[in-house]
Formats: sequence, C-alpha cells, structure tokens
Amino acid sequence: MSASLELGLPQPVARRRGSGVGAVYRVELAKIAAQWLPRAAATACLVGPFAFAIFINTQSSVPGDSLFGRWVHSSGFAIPLVVLGFSGIAGFPLLASVVAGDIFASEDRQATWKTVLTRSCSRSDVFWGKTLAALTYSTAIVALLAVSSTIAGLVVVGRQPLIALSGEPLAPGRATALVSESFAIALLPTLAFTCLGILFSVTTRNSMAGVLGPPVVGLVMVLLALLGSGVVVRSLLLTTPFEAWHGLFVDPTRLEPLGVGFLVCAAYSILSLDAARRSFRRRDFAGDARPGFSWSRTARGAAVAVAITAVLVVAVVVDRTWITSKRVEDSVSATFTNLVAVQQQLLGHADEAGAFKVYPYCKRESVISGPSTGAGDDWNCQLFVTGPHVGRLQVDYSLTIKPNGCYTAEGQPSVIGPLHMKTADGSVAVNPLSAFDGCMIAP
Amino acid sequence: MTEIPAVDVRGLTKSFGDVAALDGFGLRIPPGEIHGLVGPNGAGKTTLLRVLFGLVTPNDGSMRLLGEDWASDTTMPGVGGFVEDPRFYPYLSARRNLELLAELDGADPARVDETLDLVGLSDRAERKVGGFSSGMRQRLGLAASLLRSPRLLLLDEPTVGLDPKGVREVLALVTGLAADGATVLISSHNMPELDGVCDGVTVMKEGRSVWDGTMERLRAESPAPAHRLWTSDDARAAELARQDPDVSAVADPEGGLTVQADRDALDAYVLLLGRDGVAVRRLELLMTALESMFFELTGVPVGRSSAQDQPDEIGAAT
Repeated sequence: MSASLELGLPQPVARRRGSGVGAVYRVELAKIAAQWLPRAAATACLVGPFAFAIFINTQSSVPGDSLFGRWVHSSGFAIPLVVLGFSGIAGFPLLASVVAGDIFASEDRQATWKTVLTRSCSRSDVFWGKTLAALTYSTAIVALLAVSSTIAGLVVVGRQPLIALSGEPLAPGRATALVSESFAIALLPTLAFTCLGILFSVTTRNSMAGVLGPPVVGLVMVLLALLGSGVVVRSLLLTTPFEAWHGLFVDPTRLEPLGVGFLVCAAYSILSLDAARRSFRRRDFAGDARPGFSWSRTARGAAVAVAITAVLVVAVVVDRTWITSKRVEDSVSATFTNLVAVQQQLLGHADEAGAFKVYPYCKRESVISGPSTGAGDDWNCQLFVTGPHVGRLQVDYSLTIKPNGCYTAEGQPSVIGPLHMKTADGSVAVNPLSAFDGCMIAP
Repeated sequence: MTEIPAVDVRGLTKSFGDVAALDGFGLRIPPGEIHGLVGPNGAGKTTLLRVLFGLVTPNDGSMRLLGEDWASDTTMPGVGGFVEDPRFYPYLSARRNLELLAELDGADPARVDETLDLVGLSDRAERKVGGFSSGMRQRLGLAASLLRSPRLLLLDEPTVGLDPKGVREVLALVTGLAADGATVLISSHNMPELDGVCDGVTVMKEGRSVWDGTMERLRAESPAPAHRLWTSDDARAAELARQDPDVSAVADPEGGLTVQADRDALDAYVLLLGRDGVAVRRLELLMTALESMFFELTGVPVGRSSAQDQPDEIGAAT
C-alpha cells in the first residue's frame, strides 16, 4: 500500500454539497435489485397470475365467493379483478412491506448505518431517498401485477366482454380501462401501507417487525371490517380503500369511496412518514449493538395495540349500518334488470334492459318486525319481472350481503334455469341469472 | 498568523442515560499531524469519533473541523474514516459497495479501482463482502474513506484484525497521507502500536483527556519500563536493587520481582546480580515505557478493559 492518491489538500475546505436524495434513491434501487427477497416477490407477481389463470382454467368450478369469480371462465378480464380482490386483503400490504419494512431496519441488521451516514448525504437525504425507493418498489409491484394478471387473463381465457357489478356487459376496451383504473386505485392504500412499513422499520429497527407489521395491521383491519357495516369506522380503516374500485363497476359510477379513500390514505401516509422522520432524525447512532428484547417495551406496545383494537371493535359494533332494504332493493333490481337483458341477448333476443320492469321486495328472514338492515346471509329478495319474452314472472333470490355492501344472489333453478344455458348460436354459456354478484356503494 | 487547527473541540459532553461517555472533553490537532487517541475500552474514544462524524449529537460543547463550525448530523465534507469495524452490504461485491458509496459522495467512480489498489484489494474486488475477513473489511473501510479525498481522516482502531504485515501497510499508508498534508486522528487502545507513527497523543479516561502532548514529551515523561525477574535469590536481588536509586524492585505476588529501570540501569543491575552470586533465571519485559505511562495515566494495563467499559458500545438511544 502506498499513499499516492490525489488528496487536493492545499485547497480551502469547500462545502461540497451532499449528492442528495437522488443519489440515495439510485443507490437504494441498486440495493433492492441485488437482494433476493424483493426479486422473488417481483417474480411471484410476474408468474403468479399466469399460474393462477392456467389453474383456474383447468377447473370446472369457479371462485364464486370472490367478486367476478364466477366470470373467470367467461372473460379474461375477470382474472385481474379476482387477483386484485385477493391482493387487497393481505397481498399488497405484505408486498409493500417486503422492501419498506426492511429498508431502514436492514442497515441496523448489517450495522451499516455508520457507513451510509458518514458519506456526503444528510439524514434528510437518506430518509427521503429510502422512502422514495420503497414507494417506487411498491408502485412497480402493483403495476407488474396489473400487467401480468391482465395479460394472463387475456392469453389464457380471452378478451370476451365482462359483466359489470350492475349487470351490464363491458366491451373489451372499456373493461381494459376499468381494470387499469382499479389497480391504480389499489395503489393508493398500497403506498399508505408502504409508509406504515417505513414507520415500523425505523422505529423497531427490526426487519421481521417491519415486514410483518403492516400485513398484521391490515389483517386486523380486515377482521374489524367484518364485525359491522357502519360507515364511519370502516372509512377510517386503511384496508377499505382497497375496495374503492368497486365503484367503477356499478352504474352510475360511484367515486365517493375513492375520494374518502384518498384522504384516509394521505392521512396514514403523512402521519407515518412524519413520525418515522422525527424518530430517524433524533436518533443517536451510538453503537452497532441492536436493542435487545424488552418485555416491558413489548408489553407496553401490546397494551396500546389491544386498547386501540378494543375501542375500534366497540366503535364498529355500535356504528349504524348503511345497508338498508331500500338500498338492497335498488341495487338488486338494477343488476337483475341488466342481467335479464344479457340473458335474453344470449338467447337471441335483442331486448334492451329498459324493456324490462322489475319490482323488488327484499327483507331479512331473521327480522320479524321492523326494518331489515345490515350485513348477513339471511336476506331474501322477491323480484316481480315483466317484459318481452319473459311475460310476468316472480323470482326469489337468497342474498348473502357482506359488510362492505357486496352481495351474492342465488336464484331458484326451477324458475331461472340451470347454471349453464344453451345460447342462440348453440354454444353453452353461464346463465347470468342463476347467481350473480353486485355491490352497493357506501354513501 | 495563528495556525487553524484541523480539529478543535471544546467541552464536549455526551451522556447515555446515567453514563457520561464524554465529560467536557477538549482536543486540538494542528493540520497535517497524525494524532493518536488512546485509552482503555470505554474511555470514550469511539463516542468522540461518532460525534465528529455527526452520528451522535453531543449534549454540550463545540467543535470546529478543518476550520469550520460543524453541528450538523451529516459528516463534514473533507472528513473521512470509520468507527468500529467497517461494515458493508454483504450481498454486494467490494467494488459494487465502493461504487455505491462513491455515488453517495458524488465522487468520481474511477477512484474506486484506484482506492482498491491502494489498500491491496484489487484481486478481491469482485468477491462478495459477506465472505470477507475482519482484516479485509478494515482495508475496504480504508478504501471507502479515501474515496472522499479526506483532508481529515478519523480512524477507529484501523489495525484491528490485520496481520503484522497488514498493520505495517496500513500505518505506512496513514503516514503517507499525512505526508501529503492530511490530518489523521487514530484511536487505539494499544499505545505502543502508535509509537513511531503519531506526532501527538491524547490519552482518554472516563470521557476526559488525562494527558495531551507530543509523542516526544510522552516518551520523556514516561516511567521506566517494567520487567519481571526470576533469580536464584529474590530476597538478595531486592536488597541489591534498594542500593541503586535508578532501579526499583518489588516482590510480585505471582513469584519473582517486578523491576522498573531504564535500559542502562537494568544492564548495570543484572551485572551486579551476577557479581554478587545471584543467578538470573529469567527476565522478561512486562511493560514498555509507553505502556507504563498508559498504566500510570489510566490505571488500566495496556490491552485490558476498564471497569467502565460500556459507553462506546451502548445501544442507540433515541
């Protein structure tokens, strides 16, 4: 070794500016690209939808308990929407936190803070560079899943029209646009979960807690949402905006959940990042030793989490439901009317939905007197239909309504025919009236 | 004209809970000097370096580095080095690690190969750092420091984990950098290792400076080296030592005598023992003069930890 490096010593000290957020961002992206876990997650997002579509296509049954699940054999556009529905529960929070939950804590694990923070970047540069890199990864993952699942659906199933949640058929171009917009909407809560992952990563300094924390929070929120169908508490949960895309598939389009979801996601993101930034800025990097396990700290954290959850449980239970028999009747009759038109078109009759009149009467079996409200699997709807080729008809449907307002209606085969029907051109198609899904959008 | 010191810290105080890692510490290092910072483990050396790097915020005090006030949480431009053992991303190669650090510094990527060559890691540049030994990480840490073209180099125990050849190479590199005008602050708990390298030395104990000056002055003020002596008649040997004012000999609880004398006085004493019929069975060096001085100043033998061993290793406090 010899000291022959040019040091430029005679010059006065020039305050060389830190190379800034951009440099940290580029470095973090390079590190993400070099690590196996983010690459494995991205590969899963790329390959998973194809495996799912191929598997589904080989099965005779369909995932009927998922929105659009009953259409996975009939339209390739149903595939990305089923994937989106699954991912919103725990997939996106987990995928987002693969990087976000580890991006700060990994520097503690590898004892590399002293290496990073002794370069020409301020802590602020480091914080925002890492945050931007995590947000970029989350965005890339959502985009990758959107593209791969859409292509998988189109390649494996085909580009047939998709039946919307209001029962009207969507042409391939419109369906493509709505699928893209749906994933774009899901990006908002995904980014908010990314910010939550960053908060976990900074404050716990533990990769495991950083990566698993956000999905656990998401799962608790999903469970909370199942307890009641009130508007207020549901609106405050970060998992609710994952369902805002439902509003795109009803007629007329309902964007209120998107607006509320945007505000909720922004609030979670800003609060998480602000708390993380403060914690990071005031931290003393005094040693490589990682904080040991502390029973008292863990107990305090658990007590706070349990208290918040208990308050939310009570709030969810006492929150007034927005699901009323009037809203159920409006939604079911509109969807049913459109589906009758779809069925008649399959049978070779060019009747528009407006040609049919539907008079609904919906109530819960368990309610003996008083108004029927709330989620449950004991709803019944009697639909009185008049129109060309159907004459006057009464159809009874059993409804299972979820707390988020989405429902599955199953009819009597003796009146509406079997699951599959023969179309005018002799092919076999799913009878759109045998069972259908719909969604009421919360006010 | 007064020379502006490269390092000028005054009254630095830093506590972690009840433990004072720095207790009103002060230090001035002239530009171009190699300055040793010695003290037992837990004396506050690493905490001081962390403060100078901006990793830790002091509770009180001021610091001027390279003539500028610096109170930021960022490492100052022109300052390079490392604290404790240098760490890198284990899943990246040595070269890739340095390329990313060069990106963070806005440094010329061409310097990566230059610095790898300088620290003797060119042939291992493509190997993942996860498989590096502690010594190789020390070298890589030095390379990472040099990427910043430092005018002030802060090195925490830079020779730990190196073989004797590596130690010589690192110290030669440091000397070369200082010859080019850089100021170097090296912390160590091994004072003799810094002998012949440093121009000045500060001895730390419990967060305070207990001695500060040039290496020559330290040598001059150092007590005589200590030896362990085993003879055929230790009682007679002790009696003969009492007759010579330049020799001190006391019985060692573990056997033999602990003799303190400079080289000439020791030679004369051994000859005297022989003339008096006392056979010297074994004579070994216990502490060099510098080690004796270190012991006198800190109360801790060289290479051993102090009782207050915690502040440098304390987990990060928020």
